[in-house]
Amino acid sequence: MKNWFIFRFGRSLLSRYLLIVIVALLMVPIIITVPVSTYGLVTKVVPIDNSSQPTIYERGNVIEAKWHQQALRLDGASEQDINLEIHHLKGEYPEATMFWVDSQGYTRLEMPQQQQIPVLWTVLDAITFMKSSIASDPFTVVSFIGGGKVNAGQGFMTVQIPRDLLEDGEPYRGMPNSYYVIFGFILFIMFIVVSWLFFARFRKRLLRLQSSMTLPEGDGIPEPVIVNRHDEIGQLEDAFNHMVVQLRESMHREREEEDLRKQLIAHLSHDLRTPLTVIRSHIYSLQKERLSAHGVESLQLIDAKIHDLSGLIDNLLSYNLLTSGRYTLMTEKHDVLRLVRESAAAWYPLWEKEGFEVDVNIQEEPLVWNVDEGWFRRIVDNIFQNVVRHARSGEYIGVYNEIRQGEVAIVIADHGEGMSYPSDTKGVGIGLAIVEFLTSEMGLKLETISSSEGTRVYLYRLK
Amino acid sequence: MGVQILYIEDDRDIGKWASQDLMERGYEVVWLMNGDGAIEKAESCRLVILDVMLPGLDGFTIGQRLKKKYPGLPILMLSARTSIDDKLQGLEFADDYVTKPFHPDELAARIEVLLRRSGAHSAEPIELKHLKIFEKENRIVNCETGEEVVLTGKQFQIFTYLLQHVNHILTKEQIYEAVWGDSYIDGDKSLMVHIRYLREKIERDPANPEIIETVRGLGYRVRL
Repeated sequence: MKNWFIFRFGRSLLSRYLLIVIVALLMVPIIITVPVSTYGLVTKVVPIDNSSQPTIYERGNVIEAKWHQQALRLDGASEQDINLEIHHLKGEYPEATMFWVDSQGYTRLEMPQQQQIPVLWTVLDAITFMKSSIASDPFTVVSFIGGGKVNAGQGFMTVQIPRDLLEDGEPYRGMPNSYYVIFGFILFIMFIVVSWLFFARFRKRLLRLQSSMTLPEGDGIPEPVIVNRHDEIGQLEDAFNHMVVQLRESMHREREEEDLRKQLIAHLSHDLRTPLTVIRSHIYSLQKERLSAHGVESLQLIDAKIHDLSGLIDNLLSYNLLTSGRYTLMTEKHDVLRLVRESAAAWYPLWEKEGFEVDVNIQEEPLVWNVDEGWFRRIVDNIFQNVVRHARSGEYIGVYNEIRQGEVAIVIADHGEGMSYPSDTKGVGIGLAIVEFLTSEMGLKLETISSSEGTRVYLYRLK
Repeated sequence: MGVQILYIEDDRDIGKWASQDLMERGYEVVWLMNGDGAIEKAESCRLVILDVMLPGLDGFTIGQRLKKKYPGLPILMLSARTSIDDKLQGLEFADDYVTKPFHPDELAARIEVLLRRSGAHSAEPIELKHLKIFEKENRIVNCETGEEVVLTGKQFQIFTYLLQHVNHILTKEQIYEAVWGDSYIDGDKSLMVHIRYLREKIERDPANPEIIETVRGLGYRVRL
């Protein structure tokens, strides 16, 4: 469990980014130390121009220790010895200000002479001097002559040195602030670059996944992606691949079902039509026999009903296929007027035979719609068939164009008795249901205006 | 002896009736109940009528094999399978697709068209009004004058195409694409011009054409 957690955590994007952040935080002390050490190194290699400050003494703490030591050594020394020693020390630190005060509070030797040093020290003077000397420039060391508390009462000696003459105990002192800024900026840029690289890789993988999702193969299902890493994106890629596999299986199953259904319907159609063909063959055989007028009429009626039944089987099975979503419409851009013209040309001999007045007046310019050619022909054929079956009495069929709802519409008109008139050949409307289904699938509108004067069917594109 | 037709149909009743009807119409029918021996029998036939659902190999497979072996042999599918998919599959190799139940007159008419298109009848001239057309010899004779009608290449192609689809109305797009072998461009008048010159050569009165009929709004038709 623990190993699994470490394994998972180690592969996690979150942990990797956390690592980057931690490394960046660890860099903060480096920002401080590296500039200091590099500055020290640089100033050693390239000495700073000290021409204006020729004298550099030891560090403050060294001088302090030395001063205290001298004071201790002067324990019990005479005024002359003290003066001598201070003179000696002044020779060592010529830039320094030195004075000493005896046990009575009189300033004895002052090199050089200074105005702010009182001749006779009061307690207040001493406190004021001490207060003004703490952590200030000049660097001040006050030592009791004879040192410590035991041998107090011999006075004190003081040295004051401007701090800029002391050797720097902190090599970065005097280092320009820009040095920090540059280092900080470099580190910040490094952090940004590392973060950017991290997220750029991240983004690249996401984009690859996105392109796999949006550029499906021919079957409409994306291709699986190659999983190189097992982090969060890798897990997403795994899930995506799993989904692709499931989609493929589902599509495969669907296709199998579609094929089975089509096969079943094809067999059903075949099995229903074969006996109809046999019945029809016998009707034709009978028609060749000598029959009474009533017999001929009956045979014609049987023939007509077989024809209707055949159409009904066709429609029923087509409707079943279409509405179950087992049939895909292959829509393409087509000049629908050409399709209408070709369909009307095929129907023309029958209209002629039925004694129809045919008025075809379709515009010459193509009318391009996005339709499935086969099913569009079927819609038009269905309308033409309805005219022949239900509006025969009008003996007229007109095919033309009109503007309907702002769109160029195909109009098929007849002079029949209208749709409310009962027709012997009226079915349950399965043909109409197919036509309505197909038109809506292809984004078309089929509108029928019917009166006792006739019927006009408008077919136009929905906006 | 009539034109020999190979008819493959597994249903005994339909096969018997259709064969008899075709024989009465003057064809010689070789009826098989499945695809066995179809390739051999087809050699002497001018047309094949083929059912789809057959025992053993189905009609589509037999049809494809026949077409591969005899590319010029017209095949008419006669099936109770009516779906668009079946029709499209059949028409990939077949020349026509008729669905059951069929009218024997329709079957006969379609057979005639296919035979004419394949040139099976070309030995016999077609008589059309005052014209006698010898398809095989690419020759048209005006019976009234006894003179041969000389047509240009395009005029002859248009006329032949109309004859191959006799009694059918052909739209200008269909004729143009069949003759020129190119997509019809909207507004192209070349077909109309060719038909006008063609009529001047073959019609008695080109202003009132009897042979190439104009069907208003649809196209042209030659009626026999």
